[in-house]
Formats: sequence, C-alpha cells, structure tokens
Amino acid sequence: MALVELQNVSKQFTKGEQTITPLDHIDLHIAEGEFVSLMGPSGSGKSTLLNLVSGIDRPDSGSIVVNGTDISQLSRGKLADWRAKNLGYIFQTHNLIPVLTAYENIELPTLLLKQTAQERQRRVQLAMEAVGLSDRADHYPRQLSGGQEQRVGIARAIVTHPKIVVADEPTGSLDVNTSQQIQVLLQRLNQQLGITMLMVTHDTEVASIASRQLRLDQGKFVDERSSTSTFCEGGQSDA
Amino acid sequence: MLLPWEYGVRNLARRPIHSGLTLFALTTVTLLIFVVVGFIRGLERSLAVSGDPNVMLVYSLTSEENIENSSISAQIPDLLAASLSATVKHFGITHHSPELYLGSRVTTADQSPGLGLVRGVTPTAPLVRRTVRMTEGTWPQPGEVMVGRLAATKLGVPTEVLKIGNQIEMEGQAWQISGTFAAEGASFESEIWCDLSDLQTATKRQDLSLVAMLLKDRTASSEVDLFCMERKDLELRAVRESEYYQTLQQHYRPVRILGWLIVGLVATAGIFAGLNLMYGALAGRIRELAMLQVLGYKRVAILVSVVQEGLVLASAASLIAGTFAVCWINGLTVRFTMGAFALRIDSLAILSGCAVGLLLGILGALPPALKALHASVAINLKAV
Repeated sequence: MALVELQNVSKQFTKGEQTITPLDHIDLHIAEGEFVSLMGPSGSGKSTLLNLVSGIDRPDSGSIVVNGTDISQLSRGKLADWRAKNLGYIFQTHNLIPVLTAYENIELPTLLLKQTAQERQRRVQLAMEAVGLSDRADHYPRQLSGGQEQRVGIARAIVTHPKIVVADEPTGSLDVNTSQQIQVLLQRLNQQLGITMLMVTHDTEVASIASRQLRLDQGKFVDERSSTSTFCEGGQSDA
Repeated sequence: MLLPWEYGVRNLARRPIHSGLTLFALTTVTLLIFVVVGFIRGLERSLAVSGDPNVMLVYSLTSEENIENSSISAQIPDLLAASLSATVKHFGITHHSPELYLGSRVTTADQSPGLGLVRGVTPTAPLVRRTVRMTEGTWPQPGEVMVGRLAATKLGVPTEVLKIGNQIEMEGQAWQISGTFAAEGASFESEIWCDLSDLQTATKRQDLSLVAMLLKDRTASSEVDLFCMERKDLELRAVRESEYYQTLQQHYRPVRILGWLIVGLVATAGIFAGLNLMYGALAGRIRELAMLQVLGYKRVAILVSVVQEGLVLASAASLIAGTFAVCWINGLTVRFTMGAFALRIDSLAILSGCAVGLLLGILGALPPALKALHASVAINLKAV
C-alpha cells in the first residue's frame, strides 16, 4: 500500500475573472521510503501539489490519503496535529528563527510531541549528527553559512521522525558546491534512514537524485521516469 | 502546545530600536494614566477626608453653599453654646470653633502675589478640626500666621518662601509665619490660619463666616437643625461637615468625569500607537509565522506567543511607569480653586495604570497577529 495516495485531485484559483487550474484531476502514489522529485515550469502546479500533500492547502476535489489518513477531510486544528506528527518540511529559504540557536530551531517541532525532555534531547542530537552539525548547536542562524542553515532546516524536518518529508526547492538558494552537499545529504537520509521524500525542484541535476522523477505541466503529470530510465513524454511509468 | 517563552521574549531583542520605541510609548501612556488617576484620587481624598461627620457647620442661610460668602453675627457661637446641649464640652470648654474664612491676596517674601485661603480661628479650633496637627513652630499670636502643608502650592510659590520666620503680606499688613500644620490631606492644608480677632481687625469686620461644632454623637445634629429652623431671625443653616464636602464633591464631578475621559482617550491613543508598532513588528515575520504553522503549531499558540511579546513589553512599561509614579508623582501637589491637594498614587491608581498598560499590550498585539494568521499558510510562506 502506498504511503501517499492522491486520487483525482483538482485545485483551482480565481484571479480576478481568470480561473487558474494548477492541478487538474491528478493521481499520484508514493511508496514508503521512496524519493520522488517534482519538476515543471513556473505555474505548473508543483508547489500547489506540495502544499496539498503537506496539508497546508486543501483540494477542490479528490482525496489525499497519507499513511491511511484522508487529510483533505481533517479540520484546521487536526491538520496542525497531523503535520506535527507526520510531516517534515524543508524550505527553500531555510526559514530558521533568528532568535533561536541551531539546537532550539531543531527542537521546535519536537515540543509539539508528547516526549520527555531526555527523549527530545536525544532526537535533536541525532538529527544534528545526521546533518553533520553537532558542533554548531549553540550557533544562531546569523553565525551559520547558507549551507549550514539549510542543514539545520533539514535536521528540523527529520527530527520528529516524520512519515514523509517534503522539500520545496531545498537547493534553490545555495551555490553549486553547497547544493551538491545538500543533495548528497538528502539522498543519504532517504537511503540510509528510509525517509520518504517528495521534493520540488527546477534543477534537473537535483531532481536526478530522486528514485522517481515526475514532471508537471498545466496541472497534469506529463513525464515520469525512475533513476534508471529517461523521461518519457505523455504518461507515467512505474518506478 | 504553546511556543517556548524564550521565543517571545527574544523576539523583542530582534529589533531593539523598535522594541525600545514601543516600550517608551507604552511607558509614556501608562505614566499619563497614573498621573490622571492620581489626580482624580488625590482630589477625591482631599474632599473625603475634609469632612468630619461629627462636626456641624453653622453659617448664613443666604450664602448658599459658599462659606466664603457667609456672614453671621459674632454672638452666634455664644448663643449656640447656651442653647444647645448637643455640643461636646470638656472641662467647661465648649468644642466649637468660630471662624472667619475668606480668600485674600497674599504677597510672600519673594514678592509673589497669590490668592490665599485665610481662616481666622480661636485656640479651640483644633478641638473641632481634629485632623489638624502642628508640625513645626508655635500657635500664631497677634501679627502671626501658621501655614498649612500645601499653602505654598495654593499660592504658587516654593515651600521655602513660607518657612517659619518669613513674612507675608495680606489685608494691608505684614504677618510673620510662626508655625506650620498638616491635616491628614484635608483641604485645611492649603490654608493660612491666624488669630480670629487679628483677622477681624485687619479686615475691619466684626462678623464671622461660620461656627464649626463638634457634636456628642451623629444623632445630635437634629438639635442643631431644629435650632436653626426655630430661630428664623438669625438666618442660619446647619449642615454636617461631611455632607458639605460631599456637595463639593458633586461640584467637582465634571472634573472627575473629565479625568476618566482623559484616561479613556489616552488609553485609546496608546492602543492605536501599540497597534501601529505591532503591525510593523509582525509585518516582517509573516513567513516565519506561516512556517510555525507548517511545523504544526496551531494559530492560537502563535497568537498567544505574539500577545505574550506585547504583554512582556507592556508589563515592563507598567513597571517603569509605576515605579516612576510611586517615587516621583505620588505626593506632587496641585492647585485648584478650593485650595491644593496632593496627587495620590494609591492601590486603585496602580491597579488602573497597570490594567490599562497590560490592556495596551494585549489589544495592541491581537489585531496584527490575527491579520497575520488570517491569510492562507501557503500564501504567507511566499511573503517577502
């Protein structure tokens, strides 16, 4: 059974008199432990899809089931609880809180879980080790490089041991070298820790680290390929 | 689950100038509240403590409620003493105080002219005016006066000008200050007292303004009332001193209402100032607040955290303003038509000031926080 199941999902926005359809009756299945990348031109619906899977937006029609829960039916409060337990989110611009240290930023999502202080501390330390930032625990975001900030962002996303981690262009604001380090890190987290990932990117090279690459255009999947195959136009293929 | 306390507190240090300005604005508004409430409370207390319920004032029927305009015969005190058994008598001395009370132009040693309240009294006055205590010097002899604690404020001169040994000029003659007195905040404190016959000579008057009588008990007032009604030829009226000052309190009701109105206006202005500053503070954090929602923090938790920030600032402002008010505003003297009174930062003033201060923090933070959290998380994540 797939961890993420989108069935016949549509989403529309109204801008003045114009109606935009970023997602048009799409289906998507992501298996547990899978690493899926989403590519496509601006306005193709990538971010909308990411927001729907994250439970920060709702579809106009269709269902989104993640780990057996239809999140499209959850109330705002229940969705917040669901996100705290099941979702890790890696932002393009890190979105770290400048007044909190790296440790405190990573600890923030764990405060929402019913855990002892010792368990929280253990998880934060493990997450920091996983991203190679154990020696930067007491540093504030302004004292970190862009790459280190993104590592803190990644540690914050995985610290709660979420069912799925979504990443919105995680290397979009980094230089080439740092971007490569982050790619390696994401791949390692997926392969070694078995974290299920859904990543939006504009960069073909970044997309290639995923085990399955999807391309969206005008609200529909137009290409899909696995890491061992090439893009095939106009349809989906099994990874 | 709420956000950590440190998040709210440290956010204040994020924009130190902005937080400093907000703190300054909140402190100023809260201090203004303290001053206005202190003014109202001081005025209320001054009038409240001035009235002794066991003291009856007998004065002219034609003077309405203004004792300064009253004129009664100098024989009235003796007549009252002989006719009434309601007055306290100890060791053959009747506890009544014949007084001549008037407003007079007073020139002090530094040549500052001012309108003073002068009361000509006899040595029996302290038996009736039981709050009056000599604080320094001696009871005035002919050609001498003693001044109340707030007399200098009433005249608008520095306190040193009315120190013992200095001279003042009133009713065309020089008077030497022989002593000072206090009266537990009563309106007497803004008066100048001298010997009754001395004042009568200086003013070329033989009459009195009033007779204040200390009654044996509160029910004895009916005997005085009855006397005044029976002796219509004397054209007297009697009123309990506490009732007299209650009537005066009614006269000052518009002032008190105006005071509370000012409190409301200042508080409203403060809320708008707080709103403006908090809107500015949150405008740059919209994406951060959206990120917290993505992590799983509920809107109410974020709202509480933002209000917490406002409350921390407001509490600090209340504390600073409260300390300043208690140390430097409390006891400041103010002139008004009836004399002078001291601003009073009492428990009600502290409660009002702090409550308004904290309200500013909450109401200033709520609308901007609600606005920031109202929009969709997906949209706010893209905010610049």
